[in-house]
Amino acid sequence: MIECMEIEFTYDGEHQALAGIDLKVDAGEFVCVLGGNGSGKSTLAKHLNALLVPDKGSVVVDGNDTAEPRHVYRIRSTAGMVFQNPDDQLVASLVEDDVAFGPENLGVETAELAHRVRDALQEVGLVGFEKHETFALSGGQKQRVAIAGVLSMQPKILILDEASAMLDPRGRKGLMRVCRSLHERGMTIVMITHFMEEAAEADRVVVLDRGTVALSGPPQEVLVRTDILSDLNLEVPFACNLSLKLRDAGLDVPVRVREEQLIEALPRALASGSAAPATVAGNATNVETTASAANAANEADEPAIELRGVSFTYNPPSKRTSAKKEGSKTGKQAKWGNDPDAVWALRDIDFSVRKGEFFGIAGHTGSGKSTLIQHTNGILRPTEGRVLVEGRDVSDKKQAAGIRADVGVVFQYPENQLFADTVYNDVAFGPRNLKLSDEEVDARVRESLALVRLDFDELRDSSPFALSGGQQRRVAFAGVLAMRPSILVLDEPVAGLDPAARREFLGLVSELHQAGRTVVMISHSMDDLAACCDRVLVLNEGRMFALGTPRDVFLQARELNDIGLGIPAAQRMANSLREAGVPIPGNVLYDGETLARVLADIAGGVR
Amino acid sequence: MNVFSFGSYYPGSSPLHRMDPRAKLLLGCAFIIAALCARNAAALGVVAAFVAGFYLLSRIPLVNAAKSLAPLMFIVVVASLLNLFVVQGGAVLFEWGFIRISEAGVGSCLFIATRLVLMMMGMSLITMTTLTLDLTEAFERLLSPFARFGLPAHELGMIMGIALRFLPQFASELATIYHAQISRGAGMDGSPVKGLRMLSSLMIPLFTSAFRHAETLSAAMDARCYHGSAGRTRLHPLRFTVLDAAGVGALVAMTAGIVAANMLL
Repeated sequence: MIECMEIEFTYDGEHQALAGIDLKVDAGEFVCVLGGNGSGKSTLAKHLNALLVPDKGSVVVDGNDTAEPRHVYRIRSTAGMVFQNPDDQLVASLVEDDVAFGPENLGVETAELAHRVRDALQEVGLVGFEKHETFALSGGQKQRVAIAGVLSMQPKILILDEASAMLDPRGRKGLMRVCRSLHERGMTIVMITHFMEEAAEADRVVVLDRGTVALSGPPQEVLVRTDILSDLNLEVPFACNLSLKLRDAGLDVPVRVREEQLIEALPRALASGSAAPATVAGNATNVETTASAANAANEADEPAIELRGVSFTYNPPSKRTSAKKEGSKTGKQAKWGNDPDAVWALRDIDFSVRKGEFFGIAGHTGSGKSTLIQHTNGILRPTEGRVLVEGRDVSDKKQAAGIRADVGVVFQYPENQLFADTVYNDVAFGPRNLKLSDEEVDARVRESLALVRLDFDELRDSSPFALSGGQQRRVAFAGVLAMRPSILVLDEPVAGLDPAARREFLGLVSELHQAGRTVVMISHSMDDLAACCDRVLVLNEGRMFALGTPRDVFLQARELNDIGLGIPAAQRMANSLREAGVPIPGNVLYDGETLARVLADIAGGVR
Repeated sequence: MNVFSFGSYYPGSSPLHRMDPRAKLLLGCAFIIAALCARNAAALGVVAAFVAGFYLLSRIPLVNAAKSLAPLMFIVVVASLLNLFVVQGGAVLFEWGFIRISEAGVGSCLFIATRLVLMMMGMSLITMTTLTLDLTEAFERLLSPFARFGLPAHELGMIMGIALRFLPQFASELATIYHAQISRGAGMDGSPVKGLRMLSSLMIPLFTSAFRHAETLSAAMDARCYHGSAGRTRLHPLRFTVLDAAGVGALVAMTAGIVAANMLL
C-alpha cells in the first residue's frame, strides 16, 4: 500500500531530517512509528500523503508516486492524515461542515456528501453531533471529528501524526478504539506516537532514530529491546518492563508487551515455582509503614494553601442576587436553589495543602482541575467560600501582589506564553514587574535558569522562539521560578513531551520540592502521581471525589474506574493478577519494583 | 464573551430560519433603507408592526432579543440624547444654563431611539436565525458576480469562515496568556513602560500562536485536498424557495406601508 524507498529529506539544506528510510506498509496493516523528539517521525508522516516530497528516493502510495503533481489529490484522499493539535486542524465551525470539507473539495455530489458525513460520524461514534460547534468539543472529540473528516474522503490509509499526544487518557482511549475498529474493517493505519501502550497494539512497530529506521518488527520483538529504546529516549511498556524484571529475578516468565497477555501468562509461570508466601507478608507491611510514616510527619505542618467550602461558577448569578449576598448568610442556600442556570465549575471544595507537601490533583478534562488551581493565586476568586494562602485571603486585593509572588503558577503548555526577544528578558519579566533592582533581577535570572538546568551564558541572548520545545518549556518554567515562589503550582507540566523529556522534567520538579518548596501538580498520569505525590486529590465534575495518600486513593480501583479514571499500571496489574488467582496481598500500593519483588517472592524465586 | 453575544444564533426551524441566507442579507439591507425612510410616527408604527410580526414568526423569545441588544444600547442612548439637546423647536420644556430642552427635541429623541432599536432588532433577527457559516457563504455568493473583476470572493468567504471559527479559540487563548502573565506580576496599572510591556507580553504570544495555528491549519487543509473554489461542492447548497419570495413580498408590503404613512400623515 505504501512503499518508501531510500527517502532523504532536509528542511534547511544542512541537517538531514530523513536520511535514507525504507518502509513498506501492506494493505490492512497497523503500523506504529516510534521515535523521540526530532527523530523525523512527523516529517516521514508528511511524506506519506505528499505534503512533502522527498529530495532523494521515492514514495509510492497505492500505486501513485508522490513526486507526480497530478497524483496529489488522489494520494491525499487515499492517505488521510490527522494531526497532533486538536485545536488547529478543524476548518469549519460546525461538525458536519468540517466532516464534509474534504469531499467538498473533491467535488462530491451533495446527496452523496450527506451520506458520507453520516457514515463517517457513525464510524467515530459521534452521531448526533452534526450541528455541534467544533470549538465546544473536548480534545478527544475534536480528534474524532478530524478522523471523520478524513474518512469522508473514503481513504484506504489513515495516518495519525501524534494525534493522541495532547489528549487526556479518556480521549486517548476513545481514539484508540476508533483506530482499532477501523483496522478490523480493513483500513491500513500508520500511527505515529510516543505512547508505548499504543504501540503494543500494532501489528508492527517501526522505531526511528535521527532520520533512519533503527528497529522494525512485531511489537513483541521490538518493544523488549530496552537497551536500544532507552538510548532513543523511549521507554518500554509496563508489562514488558515487569516481565523483564521478573526474569532478572530468576523467574521463567515469558516477555509480553501487552498487559492482558502477561496477566494470562503469569499465573502459570508462577505456579511452576514453589510458593513461599511467608516472606510476602513481611514485605508488604514494610511498604505500608514507610508510606504512613511519611504521612504522619506531614500531619504536624501548617497549611500552605487552604480552600474552605469553595464553589465557583463562570456564569455568576445576576447582579440582583450577588448584591443580596452581602447581607444575608442564608443567601447561600437560596442562591443554589434559585439559580438552576448556574453551572458550577467547582462545588464545595474543602482541603488544604501542607507546607512542603507534594500535592497531586487528578481528574478528567472538565473536572475543574484548571479552575481549581487558578484559585490558588487569586486569578479567579471563589463565588462562595474562601481561599487562604499562608493565612492570607486571595480575595483581599491588598494581598494580591504578595500572593502572586509566593504562588508560582505554571500553566499548561507554558512555552505558549513566551514573548520576549531574548531568554534573559523573558525570565526577567516577573522580577522586573516586582520592581527589583537590576542586580537583583540579574541574580534571579541566573538562579532560575540554573534551577531548570539551562546554561545562562549560552542562552541569555538567544531568542526563546529559536529553542527546542523542551528547552522552551524550561525557559517558561524559569520565568515562574524567578518570582521565587515558595509554592509551585503546575498544570500538567509534562504534557506533550516525549518519555525522556517527561522523566527529566519530573526529576526537576521533585528536586525543587526536595529543596523545600510546596508543589501542587495536576497530572493525567496516575503513575506519575503515585510516584511523586504525598497526597492526591481526585476531582470529578467539579466536586472532590477522593483525597488521601496515593495508597488510600488508588486502592479504590473500582470507584476510580467507575468515573473513567485509571489507576497506576503496577496497581492495575496487581489487581488483575489477584483476580486471576495469584495471592498478591491487598491493601498495598505497588510500584514496578515492589510488585516484581512480591511476585518473585510468591514464586519463591531467588533474587 | 459578552461582546460577541450581539445577535448570536438561536437554534430553531421557523420559516425565518429556513430562508436562504442570501435573501436574508439582501432583505436586511432593504429593511434598513426602508426604516430610514420612515418620517413620522405612523410610518415607524408600520415598521414596528412588521418587526413584531417577524419575531412572532421566528419564535425567538423577546428576552433573547433584548439581551442581545443590551451591549449596543449605549449607541441608542448617545444618539437620542444628542437629539434631545440639539434639536430645538416648539415650546421649551426645561431650561438651565446653556441646556435647553424643547418639545421638538423630546419628539426627535424618542423617534430616533425607537427607529434605532427597531433597526437593530431587525438586523439581529437575521443573525439570530442564521448560522454564521451560512452568512459567510451568502456573503461569498453575493460577491461572486464581482469575481470576474478580480474580486477574490471565494477566498474572502473562506477567510471570514475561518476567522469566525477561530474567534472563540483566540479569545480563550488570550485569557490563558493574560492569566499566566498576571501570575508573573504583570498588570495594566503603573507606568506606561510597564503597560507597554504587559501589552507586548500578551500580543506576541497571541500572534505566535496565530501563526502556528495558521501553519498547521494550512497543512491540514492541504491534506484534505483543498485547492480553492474550483470544482468544490457543498453539503448544504443554497437554494431560493417560496419562503424567500414571501419574505420579499413582506418587505414590499412594509415599504408600501411606510411610503403611504409618510405621504398621508
